[in-house]
Amino acid sequence: MILADSFRVAWIDLCFIRRNLSSVLITSLVGPLLYLVAFGYGLGKGMTVDGFDYMSFMIPGIIALTTLTACFSTTAVKVMVQRTYFQSFDELFLCSMNPAAIVLGKAYGGMVRSLISCAILYVVGLLITPDLRFTLSAVLMILLASLTYSLIGVVAGMLSNSHLTMNMITALIITPMTFLCGTLFSVDALPGFAQAILYALPLTHTTDCIRSAMLGTGFEWIGFAVTMVYFIGTFVICYYLMVKGKR
Amino acid sequence: MTGDIIVRARGITKRFGDFTAVDHVDVDVRRGEIFGFLGPNGAGKTTTIRMITTLTQPTEGTVEIDGRDITKDVSSPAKEDIGIIQQHISLDKDVSVLENIRYHAILHRIPRKEAEERIERLSRMMGLEPYMDRLVLNLSGGWKRRVAIVCAIIHEPRILFLDEPTAGLDTQSRHMLWDLIRGLNANGTTIFLTTHYMDEAEELCDRVAIIDHGHLVIQGTPEELCMGIGSWAVEYRDSDGVKQYRYFTDMEQSRAFQESLPLGSRVVSRNTNMEDVFLEVTGRDVVATEEVTFRI
Ligand SMILES: Nc1ncnc2c1ncn2[C@@H]1O[C@H](COP(=O)(O)OP(=O)(O)OP(=O)(O)O)[C@@H](O)[C@H]1O
Ligand SMILES: [Mg+2]
Repeated sequence: MILADSFRVAWIDLCFIRRNLSSVLITSLVGPLLYLVAFGYGLGKGMTVDGFDYMSFMIPGIIALTTLTACFSTTAVKVMVQRTYFQSFDELFLCSMNPAAIVLGKAYGGMVRSLISCAILYVVGLLITPDLRFTLSAVLMILLASLTYSLIGVVAGMLSNSHLTMNMITALIITPMTFLCGTLFSVDALPGFAQAILYALPLTHTTDCIRSAMLGTGFEWIGFAVTMVYFIGTFVICYYLMVKGKR
Repeated sequence: MTGDIIVRARGITKRFGDFTAVDHVDVDVRRGEIFGFLGPNGAGKTTTIRMITTLTQPTEGTVEIDGRDITKDVSSPAKEDIGIIQQHISLDKDVSVLENIRYHAILHRIPRKEAEERIERLSRMMGLEPYMDRLVLNLSGGWKRRVAIVCAIIHEPRILFLDEPTAGLDTQSRHMLWDLIRGLNANGTTIFLTTHYMDEAEELCDRVAIIDHGHLVIQGTPEELCMGIGSWAVEYRDSDGVKQYRYFTDMEQSRAFQESLPLGSRVVSRNTNMEDVFLEVTGRDVVATEEVTFRI
């Protein structure tokens, strides 16, 4: 029931993505592919990290980072624009939708963008490095991460009323996370206090989990669990904002 | 037209910080009527409509739709009974007209076949057919409003709220919309509309209420309200050439007054209309707090 309703809520966002599929994918793939070339072939050539060559180490990190950037910007901007510029967000509260369906439905646009982007990057990774494997646990983690970061985007979209606030959130929270959370280098190389901070952030765990799953070194249950906690937390916040927030 | 109440708002109040936009307003809308909600800019009409339709949470007060309190439960099934066309058009402007309309049908869980039939019928009625595949972004304001209308009535609500539906429409569209409102009303839809056009209120509304500075000042049928200030209006210019208005309940009094005016004054004698009521009740100055007088 709630699941079916959530697809109803998402329908128009998916229409938009279908209409603009090529630009949606180009904008979410150019960044990761540039990292791949610049860091993978340029900077990191011949380097080994944690016993793997740098390219094999980095590609799972880039996929983790893509779940964050593709999801967050899609849902955050969409929700903010629908609330403050289109005002079409109101329509969701004029039908008898359960707030949980609204929360989930708003996340799907980001998830679709992220999943397609990650699939492309995964295939690229499998083609260019021999160490990477296709595993179900990696897929599961990519799904959970996409859902979680989409919901973080929904929170940001509910709380900001202009592109300026949105850019601030991106600059202060999202961009530092993309670079620092072990996506492009190993967090273990950093001093202890920095590690402590970074391990409080979800992306560090998502990266660990996706990386171990793709490299076949086992499944990082802790990473999965921490991401899950973030998912549940943001879901509750979103639910609250839908019910009580100043829409 | 039965007398029972379909929308009952009691003491609804909205404060934005220190500012009280709507102050303890009671509204009763009877089933099957066209109810007009009038007031100057910033009086609190939109805020009231948004509170009644649950889009804005009231600071105080309760709203019942057909006896069910819809402010408590976000997913209340009673919401399926209402439709609203907002003052600021609330459509997804980056997708097509058809996608917007379909989305509303989907949100209201209308079965697909039924939905497509309604979409076809309504878009034909509103003349939207040539525009269905255009992005809403590229439509003119009047056409966007037509799309918003279709979206708001696709689920056949029993009460339709319209916030300044005819603002910015050309004469043809205005008359089309009046016909539409009358047609929906004839089929049993209760209408709640706000407007700045007094001719519209007189033309359409069974009953009207006037709100000013967040307070409900008066409500009744247009005839009652006109009678309330006096059915006979006299317009004349005083010695400074400023236009003045006097109202009389009695035609004899009106005639006596006209005769008492200095010879050669330009005097117009006519029936009182809603415009008079509105101006009497809310004051003739555009900005009541500042010293503004309009010399005609
Ligand atoms: N979100 C808000 N925050 C602060 N003040 C608000 C907000 N929304 C409305 N107001 C104020 O509340 C008052 C009533 O606004 P409202 O939009 O209800 O007026 P209105 O009668 O619909 O006016 P108009 O005829 O111009 O549409 C105005 O003074 C407005 O500035
Ligand atoms: Mg208004």
